[in-house]
Amino acid sequence: MKKKTRLKGSLFVPLLLVFMMMLAACSSNNGNGNATNSPSPTEGESSPAPTESAKPAEDGLYSIEDFSNVKKNEGEPIKGGSITFGLVSDTPFEGTLNWNFYSGDPDSQVLGWFDEGLLTWDKSYVYTNDGAATYEVSEDGRTFTFTIKDNVNWHDGKPVTAEDWLFAHEVIGDPKYDGPRYDSNFTNIVGMTEYHEGKADTISGIEVLNEKQLKITYIQSTPSLLTGGVWSYPLAKHIFGNMPVDKISSSPEVREKPIGFGPFKVESIVPGESVVYTKNTDYWRGEPALDQVVLKVINPTTVIQQLESGSVDLVDSFPVDQFPDNADMSNVEFLGAIDRAYTYIGFKLGKWDAEAGKVAPDEKAKMADINLRKAMWHAVDNDQVGKRFYHGLRWNATTLIPPSHPEYHDSANPGLKYDPEAAKKILDDAGYKLSGDYRTNPDGSELVINFISMTGGDIAEPLARYYVQSWQAIGLNVQLEMVEFNTFYDRVGANGEDDPKVDVYQGAWGVGIDVDPAGLYGRDAIYNFPRYASEEQDKLLAAGVSQEAFDVKVRQDIYKEWQQLMVEEIPVFPTLYRAALVPVNKRILNYAIGDGTGIYLHQLAVSQDKPFVAE
Amino acid sequence: MWKTTARRMIIMIPQILLLSILVFLLAKAMPGDALTGLLDPSIDPAALEAQRERLGLNNPWYVQYWDWFTKALQGDFGQSFRFKMPVADLIGQRMMNTVWLSLLTLVLTYLIAIPLGIISGRYHDTWADRMITGYTYLGFAAPLFIFALLMLWAFGFHFGWFPTEGSVTPGLTPGTWEHVVSKFYHILLPALSMALITTVTTVQLLRSEIIDTKQRDFIITARAKGASEARVYNRHILRNSLLPIAAFFGYEITGLIGGTVFIESIFSYPGMGQLFLSSISLRDFSVVTALVLLYGAASIIGALLSDMILSAVDPRIRIK
Repeated sequence: MKKKTRLKGSLFVPLLLVFMMMLAACSSNNGNGNATNSPSPTEGESSPAPTESAKPAEDGLYSIEDFSNVKKNEGEPIKGGSITFGLVSDTPFEGTLNWNFYSGDPDSQVLGWFDEGLLTWDKSYVYTNDGAATYEVSEDGRTFTFTIKDNVNWHDGKPVTAEDWLFAHEVIGDPKYDGPRYDSNFTNIVGMTEYHEGKADTISGIEVLNEKQLKITYIQSTPSLLTGGVWSYPLAKHIFGNMPVDKISSSPEVREKPIGFGPFKVESIVPGESVVYTKNTDYWRGEPALDQVVLKVINPTTVIQQLESGSVDLVDSFPVDQFPDNADMSNVEFLGAIDRAYTYIGFKLGKWDAEAGKVAPDEKAKMADINLRKAMWHAVDNDQVGKRFYHGLRWNATTLIPPSHPEYHDSANPGLKYDPEAAKKILDDAGYKLSGDYRTNPDGSELVINFISMTGGDIAEPLARYYVQSWQAIGLNVQLEMVEFNTFYDRVGANGEDDPKVDVYQGAWGVGIDVDPAGLYGRDAIYNFPRYASEEQDKLLAAGVSQEAFDVKVRQDIYKEWQQLMVEEIPVFPTLYRAALVPVNKRILNYAIGDGTGIYLHQLAVSQDKPFVAE
Repeated sequence: MWKTTARRMIIMIPQILLLSILVFLLAKAMPGDALTGLLDPSIDPAALEAQRERLGLNNPWYVQYWDWFTKALQGDFGQSFRFKMPVADLIGQRMMNTVWLSLLTLVLTYLIAIPLGIISGRYHDTWADRMITGYTYLGFAAPLFIFALLMLWAFGFHFGWFPTEGSVTPGLTPGTWEHVVSKFYHILLPALSMALITTVTTVQLLRSEIIDTKQRDFIITARAKGASEARVYNRHILRNSLLPIAAFFGYEITGLIGGTVFIESIFSYPGMGQLFLSSISLRDFSVVTALVLLYGAASIIGALLSDMILSAVDPRIRIK
């Protein structure tokens, strides 16, 4: 998992990069869809949706398996037509409308309609040659040669060139660059660091071969390069070439008249609230079927009414908790996909050593005893949590690579099962004796475990209380504190200053498209909040991004081992996986969510002039 | 009078200064900063640290305050971290939306309050009065954010008479007549929702003033002189009863600002209130401090305005 992310208020989300390119707007349902890891709210936001075929079982439960991620096509497409896309957000979109600069998910939703990356990827998130550019990798896996297709043109008719692509790298690598993109994918380019520090005038690892061909050499070859590791968004040099780098993001060419080469062109923008797009007849995949797309920001509290009345045909996300009540909405079909995210319980096992830039595990930490952590995992019944709190739209998680990455998720690994008796036995055997209601440490001292969890959504607090009760039931004195999002990550250690009073926390990650978990669990990752490290893990993580791992089989085995290691060592344990649901008006044709579906926005069509209205 | 006003203006300066320090300290006391939200494993923490350094987030508060203050004096409130544009431009973009909304609300508030207050006061203890006071009690009791949601649901969605979000229909060219009409149409429902609730204070005030004035000696005198009922009401009672309402005008403006925070988020109306809420949760401090300062200044000016109106309309009151 790599790449970036960002959160937004309570909704959160990051999305970044690359992603949406294919299906713009479709990829994330709850806002966690990002190519990168990002923190997710533990609660609330994501939602599930049922297709109409997804009838709840008698017990009122749903299952992600009942949902398709591709819209059923009913009826014949009409010529042209206009649709309305609802951007569900309680804040206006920021308006940084360029892939090279944007940082919030709302902006990426806006961008997805009129611009895209040069590379697309398949279901396993590996770059394909179906996009606007094709690529070839050299023998040693370090040098990529990209060829942009001839008919790929900016909206103003100028061709998208290799120069534009190079220009994007130069701008992001510029020390004055004010966006969030300059990360390890860039520092991995030969000569990038020198350029960034001002020691070189050009980036030595990037070479323009001719108008349409670009060659990039990376320092280290890793399989992660093929899964989102290449920056594939060109920046129009003929427009931004003469602007000072730090002025680009606030320029009208980014905010008011943004340019791209996607299926639709921006016709007009009302800042923060709506955008009107018209079709780009010169789109390289072919002329779009729709004439017009209107995007408007809608408040999460009104999304149901908007859908019922047909005011919006599509939305980018849907609050999961409202699904059961609206499962039978007659004018929409709910699409569903497994979200690239998981919720987890983490144990603080050390501190962050800011000087060394490494985690510093502490053997004397309160949670350092593996038996204690194991017992706490055994004590919670996540299967019931998923059913009771989420109607089955979130379900028991087993390993730290979610099933949204089917190639790497080890479905044979059961994790630890709910078994309170086993939990008690483990604690008894390890010497945690009951004294009164609660157990003491093996040395007889009092054991009070401090647990923090994030507020947000109606379920947050009852859920956290459920965990506390489960742990109290096996004799552990766990004290709960509910804190707001920013405070939560501050105390858990997002800035490296871990609050020593936190022993256990409930968090969530949206994971990137690449499986490499080093950014979340590596020794030098500040987001390794449990502050766990072991040599065995170091070895596995390194192996996962080595040359040998280009062989998918080998890589799968490595991450299988890593998942098992995490089940044995339990620095954190996953609690829930999630479904992402998106309602789509029945008149919409050729639409899908998720990755690698082969359905693109220019094919999007409608079967009738007006949206269906709920009966 | 001009002296008083001038003096009040001078007092405002330390008031605003104090306010700005308070706001700044409170903002700094909130956990997290604008970069906390950037939890991204692929960004080197050193790079984040460098950015904090660049933004001056590591300096002691008084250094940060001074930097901010000196720039603010020149009208530069800094850069919004989230929107990546100058705070002044950002607020400018949103301010007009809020101003139009507040203005319409104000107009509606008085359009509702004055007739209702007059009827209720003139015919007090009749069924009309009881209905009106009943409504004012309801208005006092109903929280604005619930009432606005109900209005949105009923008139926006159920009947579909009004647009349900935004400030203008997408795709219209600014400057055209349709654009203006569409803007008005979009603020009508939010403004009405707010006016219906905020107007009740004014209705009550006007009612009790009228009832009170009706029994004054000079009214009895007027009647004794044989003045017609219409003349008594229009020339004597109303004029006197409207004084406190006029004086209340300044405070009304202040109250509206508070109300728009709720209304704007419910109606997804991109104004300052909505900007304020989201900036707090994202720790976009430069925006938050600038807005609080603006709100604070508006309250202070509102109070001043009230005093000035009062002394202008009521010759008995002359602030020395």
